[in-house]
Amino acid sequence: MLFGKTTNVKIEKDIYERLKHVADVAGYASVEEFVTHILERELQKFEGTDGDDAIREKLRGLGYIS
Amino acid sequence: MIGVVQEYLRKRKYGPAVVVVSGLPRSGTSMMMKMLEAAGLLVMTDAVRQADEDNPKGYFEYERVKDLEKDPDKAWVREARGRVLKVISFLLKDLPPDNFYRIVFVHRDIDEVVASQNKMLHHRGEENRVDDEEARRLFQRHLLQVKMLVSRSPNVEMFEVDHREAIQHPRAVAEKVSAFLGGGLDVDAMAAVVDRTLYRNRKEDLAASTST
Repeated sequence: MLFGKTTNVKIEKDIYERLKHVADVAGYASVEEFVTHILERELQKFEGTDGDDAIREKLRGLGYIS
Repeated sequence: MIGVVQEYLRKRKYGPAVVVVSGLPRSGTSMMMKMLEAAGLLVMTDAVRQADEDNPKGYFEYERVKDLEKDPDKAWVREARGRVLKVISFLLKDLPPDNFYRIVFVHRDIDEVVASQNKMLHHRGEENRVDDEEARRLFQRHLLQVKMLVSRSPNVEMFEVDHREAIQHPRAVAEKVSAFLGGGLDVDAMAAVVDRTLYRNRKEDLAASTST
């Protein structure tokens, strides 16, 4: 169940069928719920800040930040 | 015509642009600073960090940049208007929004960057606690985040330079950088300061050293 505002994204029918199949098997309530879950996980890879402290430590060791 | 009007309005709002040289540490930012200094631009540096074996021609740094993430007082960045300031990519997010920034962003092969950083850590007697694969992953994601940051910042323009191309074709790169910064820079002088002998930790050498 999606509660926020939604918008439409077009995807190839073949991919949709595959998503539907996996969503069914994995127990998701709907394809939308499954796709949202996948996209949020993928976005996290780009937007996440985990590891920033490791970068900070390296940059501090290199003398580029205080 | 639209560009001229935009430029006029931008200057009225922000004053002269702050030219920022950025990139991951050890990606050729000091080389680009040297090129822009040779081009006749005013470089903002306090020369606190002196040349060493990792950067024999100097770092061109300004110490307060290192505090950008922690220091709430960023008013000093205004002093860099019309000048060139080196800011590593990790600190671009901390630049104050009351200036217009023209960023010359230097990219270098990520394996070369990590190898060069590791060597520098060793020279400085610092421990390297991040394994190379993780460092590559984090830096690549960080570079993407920089692009996302720039794309949503109306007061930032960015020009990307490839480090290896700058070494191999310094004059061509100098011309592109000059055009990005409004033209009229001494591109011959810029090209002349590129020292190919300082291109160390090349990918092909790294591959050879790990395969033997």
